[in-house]
Amino acid sequence: MKPAPFDYAAPAELTDAVTALAERPETARVLAGGQSLVLDMHYRRERPALLVDINNVRGLDVITVDGHTLRIGALARHRAFETPTVAPAALGRLLSRVSPYIAHPPVRARGTMAGSLAWANPVSEWCATAVALDAGIELTGPLGKRRVLAGDFFLGPFRTARQPAEILTSVRLPLLPGQVGVGFCEQRRTHASFAQVAAVAVLTLRDGVIAEARLGLAGAADRPVRAHDAERHLLGREAEPEVFAQAGELAAAGSDPLAEPHAGVEYRRHVVGVLVRRALAQAREDSNGYYGDEGRDRHEGREAR
Amino acid sequence: MSGFPPTRAPVQPPVSPPPTITHVPQGAQSWLLGRREDARLVTGAGRYVGDLKVAGCLDAAFVRSRVAHGRLLAVDTGAAAEIDGVVGVWSAADMGDELPVVPSSTPGSADEERQRPALAVDRVRYVGEPVAVIVGIDRYVAEDGADAVRVDIDPLPVLVDPGQAAASSTWLFDGVDNVADEMEFGEPIDHEVWQRAAVVVEGAYRQPRLAPTPMEPRAILAVPELDGRVTVWVSHQAPHRLQKDLATALQLDVERIRVRVPDSGGAFGSKSGTFPEYLSVVRLALRLGRPVRWIEDRAETLSGATHGRGQNQRVRIAADEDGRMLALALEVDADVGGYPIAGFVAAETGLAAAGPYLTPKVHARVRTVVTNTTPTAPYRGAGRPEQVYAVERTVDLLARRLGMDPAELRRRNFIPPEAFPYEAPTGRRYDSGQYALALDKALELVDYGYWREEQRRRRRSDTVRALGIGLCSFAERSGLEQAPMAHEWASLDVTPDGRVVARVGTCSTGQSHETVFPELVAHTLGIPAQCVSLIEGDTDEVVQGIGTFGSRSMQAGGSALHQAALELIEVAKRRAVRMGCAEPDVGYADGTVSAGERSWTLGDLATASPEPLRVEGVYDNAAAFPFGTYVAVVEVDPELGNVRVLRLVAIDDCGVAVDPEIVEDQTIGAIVQGIGQALYEEMPYDNQGTPQADGLLGYLLPTIGELPPLTLDTTVTPNPNTALGAKGAGEAGCIGTPPAIVNAVIDALGQSVAGTDIGGVQLPLTPETCWRAAAGQEVGAR
Repeated sequence: MKPAPFDYAAPAELTDAVTALAERPETARVLAGGQSLVLDMHYRRERPALLVDINNVRGLDVITVDGHTLRIGALARHRAFETPTVAPAALGRLLSRVSPYIAHPPVRARGTMAGSLAWANPVSEWCATAVALDAGIELTGPLGKRRVLAGDFFLGPFRTARQPAEILTSVRLPLLPGQVGVGFCEQRRTHASFAQVAAVAVLTLRDGVIAEARLGLAGAADRPVRAHDAERHLLGREAEPEVFAQAGELAAAGSDPLAEPHAGVEYRRHVVGVLVRRALAQAREDSNGYYGDEGRDRHEGREAR
Repeated sequence: MSGFPPTRAPVQPPVSPPPTITHVPQGAQSWLLGRREDARLVTGAGRYVGDLKVAGCLDAAFVRSRVAHGRLLAVDTGAAAEIDGVVGVWSAADMGDELPVVPSSTPGSADEERQRPALAVDRVRYVGEPVAVIVGIDRYVAEDGADAVRVDIDPLPVLVDPGQAAASSTWLFDGVDNVADEMEFGEPIDHEVWQRAAVVVEGAYRQPRLAPTPMEPRAILAVPELDGRVTVWVSHQAPHRLQKDLATALQLDVERIRVRVPDSGGAFGSKSGTFPEYLSVVRLALRLGRPVRWIEDRAETLSGATHGRGQNQRVRIAADEDGRMLALALEVDADVGGYPIAGFVAAETGLAAAGPYLTPKVHARVRTVVTNTTPTAPYRGAGRPEQVYAVERTVDLLARRLGMDPAELRRRNFIPPEAFPYEAPTGRRYDSGQYALALDKALELVDYGYWREEQRRRRRSDTVRALGIGLCSFAERSGLEQAPMAHEWASLDVTPDGRVVARVGTCSTGQSHETVFPELVAHTLGIPAQCVSLIEGDTDEVVQGIGTFGSRSMQAGGSALHQAALELIEVAKRRAVRMGCAEPDVGYADGTVSAGERSWTLGDLATASPEPLRVEGVYDNAAAFPFGTYVAVVEVDPELGNVRVLRLVAIDDCGVAVDPEIVEDQTIGAIVQGIGQALYEEMPYDNQGTPQADGLLGYLLPTIGELPPLTLDTTVTPNPNTALGAKGAGEAGCIGTPPAIVNAVIDALGQSVAGTDIGGVQLPLTPETCWRAAAGQEVGAR
């Protein structure tokens, strides 16, 4: 498990990193946390000729509130999102609920949210979160910066709209003001495993009626997707169990998961439905301020692992 | 032997460190450590093969077949040899007459006519088989070399299932079919027995292939010495056997080879073999006259090393209307992979078929079959988990069929304590046991009545998750029945300063021998534990030995040291007499021989004569039969199929536990591996014989996050055949755990009372498997 030979650059300036990348775009890779890339290099599944390490670039690890968004720099590690105070209100709760499901503590100490998005594993929790929230993804290339919405960014398994000479420099997530409830459920084999399926739910409620619904799914297709049919079904309806179950069924019916050795397509599609229903129930509880109340939905949340 | 303190007094790290210690960090020096080896092992100061620094050392890497079965047409090493830093590249053809072959385990056995060369010759038989070896100045360069080798293979039909392989006209070895061995245990059972019985139940089960996954995969460093000898540093369980095999395979005098085992990152049975890679490494070190090492990595070990388990099983049990078992038949097709190197594992499954039950008729038929998969070899439990799983699932099937409580059914059929020594119909002779005692203790500790009531309560309501309770009662063999494996060598030397150096032929790969053997010797001699040190795992220092496997270290090695210590006391007394002590009553206590007014310490006696004060011998140890009952309580989320283990109670009886803390920790480790087998672990193959996991993201191991609440306790039935009274420990956890969990899940799912379980749930109980079972769908059809 030793990588094939490669060149290595670790510039201190972003422009130098972009320049280095632009010189050999097809054979260079960007190194941030390295938790996926380095493993694949060890297996020689990835053989970059040049590794551009951006860890020396100052300011990329910053997480700031900027207007109505949370701006997350390319070097912000998964671990930074483990506490709800990372962002105001519902967004902080959501991010802190999702991040513990990412691998295990050593990986969370090194890996980055931006790196997860750039890697685009179809079962990635952050990718599902990004599409659920319509994240804005900032790409910096030789011609400057451009912004792509998460819904347009993911093209397939490990394929994105990022051009080879671009670096994913930041992610913008909308703050979630108002009476917003968030939920997250994941089905995985062990605590250290990738998700088989995961569901992000964001509900905006007005007088018990759903005013806005966002559902992001991991493992439901060849890329992270929103469950649009289910979201439309929820709009204007009461936040009740049978409505959530119907939304789950719609999400399951609309999903097109990939098979893996221990989870067939039929099973994964079924799990999509269950997790969407449970994530919605969690979101309603969260919205009501009940979530976290000992003994209420604790069980449900734990079991979904 | 009794009178050991229930918990050990903390032992300071020895003042003079054992030879494997390099440095222990400053902070750790002051720790009051329970075990001598822990300070260096938990602070990163352990010295493994990969830590040994030898000047001019080269690294080896192997090119492995990516094709499961095929004719090896060509191996082009040209480009690899050109790479800067590559010292040499060899295929089997390049090795020529010097190509070693793995020695057969016993003359006339299946592996003699299905030989395993160090590098594939003419044919590849599994994905991961070594095809070429590259030696370079470091591992990076060696892997670059491996990358550059081109292998041309003409594919042949692939066989991945032992039943299919046994029937196939495609043979893995020219001239001999795929059934390597066929064994029978006990007399075949008459048709009439099945026809007349009130109840007959039948189950078919699949034992998936498991990867033993020690933290440190295989590792070897061969160092040619100036005197013409070669020192082989290796992570291994049986250094003397490896020494002998290396001598045979490489046509060297045994004396030329010194095998040394430094700290080891675990073995679990998987480091007891003589691997083809080891033959190549030692051969090339001698040929090049330079040190060569091979440190296996995780990617290659999962299919390149050995697997455990891998059986197709069919079990029938006949019983009368009261649940008394009348007959048990077990049929096994054991998948031994590409080369039949360890058919004895499956033989154990057959010989043990009766389990702890007094069944009058027991018959087992075991076939070992070669397939195009990684060879199977011992993995913790080695044949016993397979047997216990097959029988315990079927006993539960019988309980459901009879509408009888599974605990009561077991109790009714146990071999009673007064029946020992008991010879089962398979010919196995059990030494001792109190099976009902362990069962009763387990039921009491888990609070069986409470959980049965809770189960009824949950079944009445449909809003909560299903609950199940599963039992597993077992008797397992520890140590070995046949000579010379039933023997172990030990010696004790008294140094002039009164310290005692113990040597023994076992070999720790993480079993705390450095702590427990000195404790045992010190306790027997009545001297402080700090005065005793241990040497193992070095064929120059330890003149002979069998090794550490089959839970034998304390039972055989410990017993040998115990007997040696008792002999040393007698030798010391005789020396005192020779020194002119005229007293008729020579006594010994606490390291001192005394007679009347005079007394001599062991050190006094050692200095009193130029002749060393020492004892040495080979001590006999019959096989022993530890036993126990495990109970699991599980909750199943039927919607997702997730299993949560709420309780696991393990009652083990390993006779006298010399160090209960070490036994308990090994039990916990084995339980975790048992949880892995029950819920997570499997090396799946596709139809092309390609393993479907090449890392630990695909091959799932339970970690601390998956550990359920454990309750461990013991009963004590001393080994009747040794003065020490210890039976083996270390493997019971992975024997008792899987059936308990699986039976609990089936109990939770409320399976039907039909008398057959063909095509039912199979290991591991993945969420999808449980979801399908909960939904009443066909699962795991074979």
